[in-house]
Amino acid sequence: MGCPCEVLVETDAAAVARCVAGSAMAEARRIDQKFSRYQKGSVIHAIHERHGGAFRVDEETARLLDYGAALWRISDGAFDLTSGVLRHAWSFDNGRVEGHPERIPSLLARVGWRRVGWNPRTREIVLPEGMELDLGGIGKEYAVDRVADWAAANVDCPVLVNFGGDLRAVGPPPAGGAWRVGIDSPGAAGRAIKRLELKSGALATSGDAARFIEIDGKRYGHILDARTGWPPKGGPRSVTVAAETCSQAGSYSTLAMLSGADARSFLKAENVKHWLV
Amino acid sequence: MQLKKPIGVSLAVATAGLLGSLPTAPAAAEEAKDWEMDSTLLFYGEDGDRVKDASLMTSIRRALDEDRSFSLSLTVDALTGATPSGAVPANGVQTFTSPSGRASYDIAAGETPLDDNFLDTRVALAGNWQQSLGEAMRLNAGLSASHEYDYLHLGANVRLERDFNQRNTTLFAGAALAQDTMDPVGGVPLPLSPMQAAIPGNGGGGGYLKAGGSSESKDVYDLLIGVTQVLSRRSLLEVAYSYSQVDGYQNDPYKILSVVDPATGAPVAGPPGSGLNLYLYESRPDSRTKQSVFAEWRYAFDRDSFALSARYMTDDWGIDSQTVDARYRWNISESSYLEPHLRWYTQGAADFYRTVLFNGDPLPQHASADYRLADSDAYTVGFKYGHRTARGEFSVRLEYYHQQGDPSPGAAVGDLAGFELVPPLDAVIAQFGYKFRF
Repeated sequence: MGCPCEVLVETDAAAVARCVAGSAMAEARRIDQKFSRYQKGSVIHAIHERHGGAFRVDEETARLLDYGAALWRISDGAFDLTSGVLRHAWSFDNGRVEGHPERIPSLLARVGWRRVGWNPRTREIVLPEGMELDLGGIGKEYAVDRVADWAAANVDCPVLVNFGGDLRAVGPPPAGGAWRVGIDSPGAAGRAIKRLELKSGALATSGDAARFIEIDGKRYGHILDARTGWPPKGGPRSVTVAAETCSQAGSYSTLAMLSGADARSFLKAENVKHWLV
Repeated sequence: MQLKKPIGVSLAVATAGLLGSLPTAPAAAEEAKDWEMDSTLLFYGEDGDRVKDASLMTSIRRALDEDRSFSLSLTVDALTGATPSGAVPANGVQTFTSPSGRASYDIAAGETPLDDNFLDTRVALAGNWQQSLGEAMRLNAGLSASHEYDYLHLGANVRLERDFNQRNTTLFAGAALAQDTMDPVGGVPLPLSPMQAAIPGNGGGGGYLKAGGSSESKDVYDLLIGVTQVLSRRSLLEVAYSYSQVDGYQNDPYKILSVVDPATGAPVAGPPGSGLNLYLYESRPDSRTKQSVFAEWRYAFDRDSFALSARYMTDDWGIDSQTVDARYRWNISESSYLEPHLRWYTQGAADFYRTVLFNGDPLPQHASADYRLADSDAYTVGFKYGHRTARGEFSVRLEYYHQQGDPSPGAAVGDLAGFELVPPLDAVIAQFGYKFRF
């Protein structure tokens, strides 16, 4: 998953805590191995291996592809499961940021869900040669929701699932009344700039305060608009959104980041609870 | 990117397709409130004409993040009433000079002499900084100051805590420094000097034989070390040791001792021509070392909790004291509780405590008739009720305090045997509190 994954369980019974933690770990590992583009043997790897041929995916993969397609539609193409290749134009390594805008035009030729043949009925996907598919933008939130849904169905104690800062609370609120969640301060990971109290539902944060790029004195976030290959201008450093599920919260926060300077008005119009840094 | 229409419904439909269903509970997330304001209004009233205190305390605390917070508090006290001067009752009217030295007052025969010229306002300010030092350590540092008509206090304190043993053990250590300056009304009386007749008028100022300066000060050094240990899932034990050193002026400049005839117990005549009996200003040592051991055991039942603590204190003035304190917190409902409170205190007298001084005896180096240094037993009984609402939490505390000195001290010779030499003290404490976050 590429991030610290934790599950907090409030219970007197150590066996219950161990059971929830064990199930969560197994599910996170399963999702990571199945959908990671880095893992040989993953569905994504198998699709890439077809080099333009049709591949019939399983039902779970189909649901994720449908979800990605819906976000692409909703965002008018700004969100795109095939935008991963744009990483070759930008590197967001800690501290050292390199931009190669001259590479964008040729990379954009390899981006676009429109060109992917996806048939939800037959569950067949055709990914043109040279294009890449990446479920990283939705996979982590999906994993949080899967683990949370499992916990909600199987135990009745307070559980918080937290995969790298995207989290969801199920069961009754914890003894303190709410889970306390800190949003990192820009430039100082580990020091909370905002403290939230979560009783139920999910919180997801997009934009990483420590990862941004600066070109000609202008600051850009690290989420790229698949249509232009550039990060949107003038947006917040990070967006945190509360929603019923982590998938919804994550999509709202990603779409808000893609809205750049309009992030706040977008979230207001959607009437969702949000916090901008 | 600018989205044309609200996407909530499309997103919900897509998410339901992804996860199979959507949870029924809506999201509930709020920004944590960083400010907390806590105010209490306290009335303390002793019986009869004795001390009444109305005190308003308000404190404000700001959490900067999970690890750091600061707080400021302001307390304003208004004190009125009379305190025992230390002199004992007599069969005749007794005349005393008030602390200003410009007036005098009479105490009827058989009455406990009270100094009723007691009216004061105290203002106290304190600031405190708390922060974590890494995962297992916490630092707390503060400054305090208070001022009243004749008294100025300045203090600083620091406390360090460190967790061990998976947070089941916490060691703590603290230190505090304070400097108190007294500027008594009418000057600093010379210890064991006789009370003089009043000299009225603005230029007046009898009453005292003045010591050197007009103000005196003392330095207070406190050290604390202790440990909190989790004993079980339900119980916790805290043990602490404290050491305190006070150097400097520790007399109460308004307290006196009666000098009586060793056979009859009657007062003897004071300075010639003064018309007063002989009363000497008290004299305490200028150094005091206190040590105390404190232990508290806390136990959590399923719904309620209980705390029992004991303290033993001893000092080089010869005072030993013991305190036992018990509180039971009965959580009546999710939002309200009732907390009965019982406290018992007993104290042995200071070595230099004297109910009276006998005429003809050699003058001791130190002597005080302050009832707070006498043998005494006291108990407090009361309760606190608290109720939490969506906006804040209010509480009411009502307590009754009773203190009883030795009813027949060895000094009760002659006439004195018929008087209450160390009168009992009854007091009522009522406190209203309101606390909220914003």
